[in-house]
Amino acid sequence: MSSSGNWEAVIGLEVHVQLRTRTKMFCGCVNQYGGAMNSQVCPVCLGLPGSLPVPNEEAIRRTIVTGLMLGCRIAPVARFDRKNYFYPDMPKNYQISQFDDPLCAGGTVGLDPFLFPKDLQDADEAKARRSIRLTRIHLEEDVAKSFHYEERSGIDFNRAGTPLMEIVSEADLRTPGEAFAFLGSLRQVLLAGDVSDADMEKGQMRCDVNVSVRPTGQQEFGTKVELKNLNSISGVRRALVYEIARQIAAVDKGEAIQHETRRWDDEAGATFTMRTKEKAHDYRYFPEPDLLPVRTDQGLRSAAEKSLPELPATLQDRLMKENGVTAYQASVLAADRALCGYYEKAAAGTKHKAAVANWILNDFLATQPDPATTPIKPEYFGELATLVAEGGINSAQGKKVFAELMANPSSPKALVEKLGLAQISDVGALGVFCDEAIAANPRSVEDYRAGKSNAINALKGFVMKKSQGKANPAQVDEILKAKLSA
Amino acid sequence: MSLAHETLASLRRRLSTKEIHSRDIVKDLLTEIGAREKTVHAFTHIDEKAAFAAAEKADPSLPLGGIPIALKDNLNALGDPCTCSSKILEGYRAPYDASAVARLRQAGALFLGRTNMDEFAMGSSTENSALGITRNPWDSTRIPGGSSGGSAAAVAGRLAIAALGSDTGGSIRQPAALCGCVGLKPTYGRISRYGLVAFASSLDQIGPLTRTVEDSAILLSALAGHDPRDNTTDLRKPETFLAKPTGSVKGLRVGLPKEYFLPGMNAETEAAIRSASQWFEKNGATLVEVSLPHTPAAIAVYYILATAEASANLARFDGVRYGRRAVDPKDLLDLYQRTRSEGFGPEVKRRIILGTFVLSQGYADAYYRKAQKVRGLLRQDFESAFTKCDLLLTPTSPEPAFPLGERTQDPLKMYLADVFTISTNLAGNGAISLPCGFTKSNLPIGLQLIGPRFGEEKMLQAAHAYEQAHDFWKRMPPL
Amino acid sequence: MSAPKLNVADVAGLARLSLTPEETSKFTAQLSQILAHMETLGQIPTGDVPEVVPPAQPVLRKDVPCPSLPLDVVLSNAPAQNNDLILVPKIVE
Repeated sequence: MSSSGNWEAVIGLEVHVQLRTRTKMFCGCVNQYGGAMNSQVCPVCLGLPGSLPVPNEEAIRRTIVTGLMLGCRIAPVARFDRKNYFYPDMPKNYQISQFDDPLCAGGTVGLDPFLFPKDLQDADEAKARRSIRLTRIHLEEDVAKSFHYEERSGIDFNRAGTPLMEIVSEADLRTPGEAFAFLGSLRQVLLAGDVSDADMEKGQMRCDVNVSVRPTGQQEFGTKVELKNLNSISGVRRALVYEIARQIAAVDKGEAIQHETRRWDDEAGATFTMRTKEKAHDYRYFPEPDLLPVRTDQGLRSAAEKSLPELPATLQDRLMKENGVTAYQASVLAADRALCGYYEKAAAGTKHKAAVANWILNDFLATQPDPATTPIKPEYFGELATLVAEGGINSAQGKKVFAELMANPSSPKALVEKLGLAQISDVGALGVFCDEAIAANPRSVEDYRAGKSNAINALKGFVMKKSQGKANPAQVDEILKAKLSA
Repeated sequence: MSLAHETLASLRRRLSTKEIHSRDIVKDLLTEIGAREKTVHAFTHIDEKAAFAAAEKADPSLPLGGIPIALKDNLNALGDPCTCSSKILEGYRAPYDASAVARLRQAGALFLGRTNMDEFAMGSSTENSALGITRNPWDSTRIPGGSSGGSAAAVAGRLAIAALGSDTGGSIRQPAALCGCVGLKPTYGRISRYGLVAFASSLDQIGPLTRTVEDSAILLSALAGHDPRDNTTDLRKPETFLAKPTGSVKGLRVGLPKEYFLPGMNAETEAAIRSASQWFEKNGATLVEVSLPHTPAAIAVYYILATAEASANLARFDGVRYGRRAVDPKDLLDLYQRTRSEGFGPEVKRRIILGTFVLSQGYADAYYRKAQKVRGLLRQDFESAFTKCDLLLTPTSPEPAFPLGERTQDPLKMYLADVFTISTNLAGNGAISLPCGFTKSNLPIGLQLIGPRFGEEKMLQAAHAYEQAHDFWKRMPPL
Repeated sequence: MSAPKLNVADVAGLARLSLTPEETSKFTAQLSQILAHMETLGQIPTGDVPEVVPPAQPVLRKDVPCPSLPLDVVLSNAPAQNNDLILVPKIVE
């Protein structure tokens, strides 16, 4: 519950995404997690006297890709600005960021119903398919990493200067579930665009939340509180559930909400005052004099447009319409482009594309394959689906073939032969089995003739057993019924 | 004659014919240094051993092969100190070469001496150095100018053949004028700033201080060019400047900006400049009166924009990653405040405070943003003036070298002395100062030529022609 | 442009400088004088002038790694270090 009828929550998110480029934002040091401490630094990212920044073209391209995918306006000329404040993880004690002229403005993130928490997927808020407006997307450099000891802190500058994309949403979100879905949907776009892996738990995507409450229907915003230390998408949800309740409880009692930053403690399950915002930081933004403005209309934008992948929403629609997969399946495939590519290859060779999806998502996925390196060729699934659908084998036999396919990858047609599973469709042969079944199950025959139509199942079962599962079920049904009514 | 008294061009010729060896030049310079450096104090650091070692490996077939050059102490040179004449960079050793330094190295030059400067290039007299003052070689009771006072004093005082300096509001040209040598500030974007400790990023330029215009052109040719490490460098193809000196100023339109010739000017300076302009006219140039109407606003614009940029550029000096750190800081805030308060001199602190103020909330629009707009007007002034003339001719400094200690308590008066040089940095144009006379008391007077942006060739041609028609460049201070 | 309220101590704090009382009063006097000189800017009409924007040539860096500084070089200038980390007094959130 996010509101107690009288109150509604107003939520905005500020998301920082680590871009998966080879090098840092303003220098050529490698952008790689896990390197030996302070081994990936140079005069520029260490802030040595005399060093100068030069922007990473790939980081800009990926930011434009993100902006295009989210429907943003791409600025024809973008500028960098200095954001001034002192902190030990900031080598220059100013951060090169973007203030007045960010790369992208506007845009929206559509909330994918399947990316709501499982327990909310049938709720109205998931079905509403709301679109959340973005304010802007800009590029900046990340800060160093610090480790804290008893009396000192130690700083590793490897991360300093790595490219960070900041995505700011309007205060359009209204529930913790929506915030959860926003992050998942945004992540899906980032993965699709090959921009970032955006895994919150690995620190590749960081999220700060601004949340306030107001009487339902009121236009003015209430006092907003900033939440920090959110380390997972579900953590964001939990923190919001708590904080909204806390705020509502306070305003219900007539208390004022303090404009402050609060720290979410996942273990304690509560937010705590971090620092009261007595004085907002005066960042003294001014245009970065060491960098020329970046023109995007001289090749950067067109390079980004060329590399645009299909948007998740478009892909999902297409898969559902053209391949007949379910909405849920489409959402799973859209979230994993490698798997999706594998599926589309598999489905290409057959008209039973929905069945292929079932095989891959229900059965194959459970074996945790790597679509890029698996020895099981995608075409096999196309073959398998065709075999089952067009009468070569029945679905039970199909499962046997699948099991063999996992163990000894080979063309399903060959496996059917190898396992001797060719389905029996010959009417004469089936007729013999049916006669045997009727002879062996007089009770069932009587029951059936007496009107208990289910009694036929025992006879079918007998035939399947006798035929070692190879009998064509549809035909068996027909033949039995004919004989029994004779 | 001591090799220390020769020009770079002349030494280059003699090195290439093997008439002399690089070590001979180093030896003669060290002799001069031994004789007069104690008084002049042009240098913060001299590494004799390294200089001799480099001289042994000199390759005179390279454009600057074997030529020793002095570096202003704000230019990073691998393995050497880079103090910026500040306490806060005590102990710092540069882990990389500035691009300009690398280019000189590639051209075969070696480095002898790091020169004294106003701390972080903030000043016009080199009195703001935390490592002692530098004295004018022509009169040791007077300032050499600043902030590249050490470089100018070394070149003029025959303690260096040539030196690199940096110019943000006149810091190459004004000391060159006060010390009687040639100082060139190239067009902004000509020479890479990578490795120059930044004062004001949109104004700083590295440039040569030399005995002659020809020497200046040689160094400019070696230094100029796009550098991928400096996003603000121009993409123009490299050129060799003054390859074919014409010696002529015929047909040149020389503009005299009326705002630079005000009543009450220092009489001897005015006389020397008038005389120079008459020479141009007598030799075929046309004098044109032009106007740079926003000149009176230039000092205000400069001290807002330069200090704003500097306040951010100097924020990195915090005792965390390099330089001097306050002893036993009790917490982070103490670390920052004490390190910076102990490490910076008063002029630096003053400018950081001013720069922080003009960017601060509630004041940034009236000060910083307004100054940026007026800067645009100044730029337009120059562009429009250059539709009427090819070069501007002005004094470099309103007066010759004043006595040491005279203005240290009056920062505003010190700032106002930058009036003739400051606008060129704001507009981004190139300019050169060269000797054009001496006062009755034998103090040098400098002439400034300002060119259109990227118009150094024309400027150097005219300067060279004027220089060679006079003897000023040959005069030496009392040695 | 009205007479600015320059509180030297406050601004110095923003710049992480701590001044002695003498410095504070001296700087206040000097900077007030300098700021008074700057009052003239307010009278210059600048309505139409675009801010100085350098030519927009997109000279960007290709995403190709360059060698970093060796660790010993990084640490050689550091005033305090241990276990390859650069040390500062404890950072308190």
